[in-house]
Amino acid sequence: MSILLNRRLILAGALGAATAAAVPVRAVAAPAGRRRFGVTLHPYYSYVANIVGDAAEVVPIIPAGFNPHAYEPRPEDIQRIGGLDAIVLNGIGHDDFAGRMIAASAKPSLPVVESNADVPLLPAAGTAARAAGKVVNPHSFLSITNSILQVATIARELGRLDPDNAAAYAANARAYARRLRQLRADALAKLARAGNASLRVATIHGAYDYLLREFGLEVSAVVEPAHGIEPSPAQLAETIATMRKLDVQVIFSELNFPSAYVETIRRETGIRLYAFSHISHGDYAPDLFEREMARNLDTLVLAMAEAAP
Amino acid sequence: MHHQIVRRAGAERETLWVLLAAGVILASAALAVGLRAAPDADAPLAAHLIDSRTGLTAAEQGLYADLKAAGEEIAALRRAGGRAPTPEELAAEALPPFAADPSAAARGGHSWTLAGTGDGVAYAGVSAAPELAGSLVLRLDGHGADIWLKRAAEAPPAPPEDAALTAAGWKRIVSTFTAGVTR
Repeated sequence: MSILLNRRLILAGALGAATAAAVPVRAVAAPAGRRRFGVTLHPYYSYVANIVGDAAEVVPIIPAGFNPHAYEPRPEDIQRIGGLDAIVLNGIGHDDFAGRMIAASAKPSLPVVESNADVPLLPAAGTAARAAGKVVNPHSFLSITNSILQVATIARELGRLDPDNAAAYAANARAYARRLRQLRADALAKLARAGNASLRVATIHGAYDYLLREFGLEVSAVVEPAHGIEPSPAQLAETIATMRKLDVQVIFSELNFPSAYVETIRRETGIRLYAFSHISHGDYAPDLFEREMARNLDTLVLAMAEAAP
Repeated sequence: MHHQIVRRAGAERETLWVLLAAGVILASAALAVGLRAAPDADAPLAAHLIDSRTGLTAAEQGLYADLKAAGEEIAALRRAGGRAPTPEELAAEALPPFAADPSAAARGGHSWTLAGTGDGVAYAGVSAAPELAGSLVLRLDGHGADIWLKRAAEAPPAPPEDAALTAAGWKRIVSTFTAGVTR
């Protein structure tokens, strides 16, 4: 009997350890009175963590390591929604799974913060462009200005839900916005030394329009038919012809998605290739957005400097 | 003598039933598609409005987003300082699009001035390259910000009120929120 009990204990322990390993997300109960705000994507974790500081807990509902482009809701992630006071969403196509998760959770009427409510959205790029601009580019978080607009909206809405901390949220949001603006100013100062601010650009993933518009740049061509899907040989040949015709100077690829077809394009066209971060990898961290965006801005400045005549 | 008529081998009747069933399925599908069709295109915007998603150049889209973000910061500076900051002060804070950086040059090289509107303030940016981005006006009152555009190297009328701006050919930029299509 005692052996059976021990076996059960070992089994329960092993299951618990396996579950903890599979869900590397902080699930510590917040102290009494401290709100718990859910997020779906890495940049939104950074935004909300910087807005709330120690006044509330930020809970990612998707464990780190999942690609948000291909995420399928899991029961344990849906269960996590039941302990939230509100959830902050991208809401324009990058976390559309969240609505179904909330509906299936213990809190189907959970307050939702639409971060992009005040962002001037751009139409989807590449083959995702359809319905006369009604399908929008969901990557508004890959931009300093649009992140500042989202941070202001999130701080305002969380302040409404948590009035005792509203003033702190507003002050934190403004301080965070100032730091983000400084990132862009630092990048532009480097660019001023480089002396050229025009570039004909192609991107592998149609995610970077918001960022490029901050520098007055427009994407001439998007290569990838959909995120993570490689183009067919015919599409690749057409892309290479298009890039030659448009006299594209720079291709922006994506970190963490090495691919043979990107190398083919580089080899065939001789165009310089640089990689941006999509900010969807690694552990959730308050400073992740600043670190990754600083790197993206440095990459953009380097590309513009190297393309200068 | 017993006669029995034996029908020749064939599946005419079954074929008829299958065709009938296929017809019913097609008809109900056509009916469902007809009833659930997406609405026609939205009503066109009024003549004095322009859509940020479809009506602006890439440079104007970037400037419009920057001005929206700047509106929040200027409102906070006004509350703290009791007066509207000048464009030079905003440039010193590295606040786009007032900061004179390579981005400003690439997006039309606007020169910014401060003007009063009666119950609020306005920042007028005259473009040096209207083919890249038109001239812009950011108006702020106690309730929020609105942004106007004219594709000319032209200052707005003073004061930049709705009627005067519209009469001079300026258009107010509007943006709409569109949720994800698979939500």
